[in-house]
Amino acid sequence: MATINATISVSSDIMSYSTSINKTMTMTKADTCNGLEETSGLNSKKFNAVTAVVIVSNTEGTATKANKVYIRNTGSDKAENFYVSLNASGSAAGTTESIGKLYGGDWMLIPWVATAATTHDICVVPSTAEPMSLEWMVFSE
Amino acid sequence: MATTTASVSISSSDLQLGNRLSISATSTLMKTGLTTGLEIMEMGKNNLTVADSHKALYEGGVAAGDRDQASYVYLCNDATEDTSYIEVGIHDTIMGRLYAGDWMFMPYAQGDNAAEISIEAEGGTCPYQYAIFATAKTLIDSDQA
Repeated sequence: MATINATISVSSDIMSYSTSINKTMTMTKADTCNGLEETSGLNSKKFNAVTAVVIVSNTEGTATKANKVYIRNTGSDKAENFYVSLNASGSAAGTTESIGKLYGGDWMLIPWVATAATTHDICVVPSTAEPMSLEWMVFSE
Repeated sequence: MATTTASVSISSSDLQLGNRLSISATSTLMKTGLTTGLEIMEMGKNNLTVADSHKALYEGGVAAGDRDQASYVYLCNDATEDTSYIEVGIHDTIMGRLYAGDWMFMPYAQGDNAAEISIEAEGGTCPYQYAIFATAKTLIDSDQA
């Protein structure tokens, strides 16, 4: 059993008072307090075409389990983004099923059920053909 | 201009033997395609019961101008029972299970007005906290004449 800790810290002065979120979780298997034990390892890839690419296949996790996926746009350009969606055919906002856009430096960490179907593949589309890089990692049972 | 910063660190000393895992990332959340900070935020805390079935944590872009913009969602399941989880989805597609003590953070495109963030408690009541950071939010019309 491995121990994987993930901590988020968010600070904001959008409101007239400062806002702060701090939370740590230990990634556990479904319905237990035992830690996740498998990982895809950290992946890194450079993209240079505006083409939809599946970065995480539904076969990399298990349905009804407590998988987690971390993805980060390692660039710094806030004008360009990776469009992230569920479904191998997702390619733009409004297609099934859009998640969101990771601009330069943005990251995400989500739970993922990995239902055995391409509807649960995780797909990205770069916003430009200029080189952009992404890193991602899957944590699974 | 407001400044909102989101940081994550992921660590493990025993996931991969001989290879200590240490990931750290920080991003300043900006309006769509700009270097201007987000200025819209919503935060809340509530309880979600199994009987509630599917609920919309946040509606998709009701107005066209709200869609496909830079927005971010934080959600945390404050339940303590290992078997209590929040099933998180976008519209009718289940994305994942947020187990007791888990949190998630993701961009949210609000691709269309049927792209709500769906949450459902399973296994027991789940207290939860959330925060939305958005580029745009158009208020819906009131019924007031």
